[in-house]
Amino acid sequence: MSLAALRASMRRGPAVSPFLMLGDPTPDLSVELARTAVEAGAGMLEIGFPYSDPAADGPAIQAATGRALAGGTSTRRGFELLRRIAESCPGVPLNLLVYGNLVHRIGYERFADTVTGAGASTLLAPDIPLEEAAPLRRACRRAGLGHVELAGPRTPGPRLRRLARGSAFVYLAGFQGVTGVRHGGFAAVLRRVTEVAESVDVPVCLGFGLSSREQIVRAFEAGARIAVVGSHLARVVERLHRGEGDAAVLIAGYRSAVLGLTAGR
Amino acid sequence: MTSSLRPRQGAFGSFGGRFAPELLTPALEELETARREILPTRTFRDELDREARAWVGRPTPLTSAPRFSARAGLETVFKREDLLHGGAHKANNVLGQALLARHMGKTRLIAETGAGQHGTATAMIAARFGMEAVIYMGEKDMERQAPNVKRMELCGAEVIPVTAGARTLKDAINEALRDWTASLSTTHYLLGTAAGPHPFPRLVRDFQAVIGREAKRQWRREFGGLPDVVVACVGGGSNAIGIFHAFVPEKRVRLFGVEPGGAGLDSGRHGATLVRGTPGLLHGARTMILQDDEGQILEPHSISAGLDYPGVGPEHAHLQETGRARYVAATDEEALAAFEVLSATEGIVPAFEPSHALAFVLRARESGEIPAGARVLLNLCGRGDKDLETYFALGRSS
Repeated sequence: MSLAALRASMRRGPAVSPFLMLGDPTPDLSVELARTAVEAGAGMLEIGFPYSDPAADGPAIQAATGRALAGGTSTRRGFELLRRIAESCPGVPLNLLVYGNLVHRIGYERFADTVTGAGASTLLAPDIPLEEAAPLRRACRRAGLGHVELAGPRTPGPRLRRLARGSAFVYLAGFQGVTGVRHGGFAAVLRRVTEVAESVDVPVCLGFGLSSREQIVRAFEAGARIAVVGSHLARVVERLHRGEGDAAVLIAGYRSAVLGLTAGR
Repeated sequence: MTSSLRPRQGAFGSFGGRFAPELLTPALEELETARREILPTRTFRDELDREARAWVGRPTPLTSAPRFSARAGLETVFKREDLLHGGAHKANNVLGQALLARHMGKTRLIAETGAGQHGTATAMIAARFGMEAVIYMGEKDMERQAPNVKRMELCGAEVIPVTAGARTLKDAINEALRDWTASLSTTHYLLGTAAGPHPFPRLVRDFQAVIGREAKRQWRREFGGLPDVVVACVGGGSNAIGIFHAFVPEKRVRLFGVEPGGAGLDSGRHGATLVRGTPGLLHGARTMILQDDEGQILEPHSISAGLDYPGVGPEHAHLQETGRARYVAATDEEALAAFEVLSATEGIVPAFEPSHALAFVLRARESGEIPAGARVLLNLCGRGDKDLETYFALGRSS
């Protein structure tokens, strides 16, 4: 069911996938932002569970994490918010980004079952690499949840093919570094997208450091099927959030930021 | 359950592994290759031995402590890592790793630091080897340990305040990992303790194991046979694994690791990850950690900034699980009392970290944790100069 949403989405064409953190800037507003993103043309959503030690994330996502945790969103609350997002965005594939310890603590199987029940399509644990992923992959398969592997600019070809095997898609980090910080030019990123897309037989998702429609269009042309924008939108939330009572400015600003990325499609 | 959770790389039973993002895989593989290929070479061993003697000050002596022993009711002998360059066992590890990094062609070292001891040691070796050093330190720790910040800067290191999270050691490790992800072609991450993703727990152990090797040889020569008990304090666990390693195969030698009990184990304000923690994934390894029931990492507490860490080296988790070593806790109060006892009985002012190990020995005979007549080897892993300011600020009258 959930993986079917991903396949259907891939058939419709390449998807812009905003990243949002559960509970950021508040629990209710994070659900509201998800709905807004989809209305503004997002074909898919990346959903983060807030974690106290996000070692793979740059400053913008760290700040989003801090806001979510301060507002009381941890794993259990995250499950509820995920369910609400899935209900308000029917048919939209939801890819979860969850640090390994949150999954480990709840138990791989129980976590996979719970998020699948809540409406997730796929899951990526950025700090559980290929070699250690077997128990998590088994749990995902059992639950009917897709598992996604992360690849980097330096992941060699044979390893790429190994991690693509059994992955719902490959999440390619465009730059060598943490999320939202760019190192080097975009032309090399595009060449890498093409190289990866040609060497694996699952969709390629490009993330880390994307912030404009132009980049997204070029990434799709280079062979990416999904383009994730995270830090750029987290900064929009940070700039516009003025409290629960004054959500209109945030929602409007967020909508226009997402429209700028999707061009309304 | 346990077998299915056994990590695939660098496992210690069900603990250890390499739980680090794919983007760090190239750096970790490069480091593991270097560990296997460069470490055993004659050139490397010779260089390491030469620098260990000439710059670090090895070997360190064993010191009997008759007046302390009388107080404890247990014959206690100290391995004097407090006499090393820099004042703590940290120099063993920074020397080894920096030498390895140089062989790997790296020109820049990054490190995390809590109390500033490991940062200082890294800054010192970087200066000696003419390498660039960047030290990540929690903003809160920078306030608590201002003299060490100055010392690092004096040695030419750049100290970067970490303002994320709780602004302490665990956040400094996160920040160093972030730096390394982007800088791995020129940079070596000089991790300060026997924790982290594979191969760090083994690498750090390799360089700290000199403590136990030396002590075992010295004990045989000076006292005959082997000690009955080996005791060390455990934060991340590098000094403890350093002295334990040579004794692990000696089944009749009992091993004790002493964790920071902070304000008391039931207060919730402690850093006793092995005694009170649960299994989890932190900083690249499956190990025992302090976390809530949803998997968020908790902030530890200890009077000793060097033990103030919510995780522990995975090999200790394994030694505990198999029963080969026992882990206990000593509170802030017990450690302070032991700090005073050692200063007054032996004229050695210990760091707050080994004061926890001393506190355990002082109570162990009465509590029955160590039987009467046992001969104890204790790793005195650091000297107390760095803690004097904190100590005097407490206004205790000893």
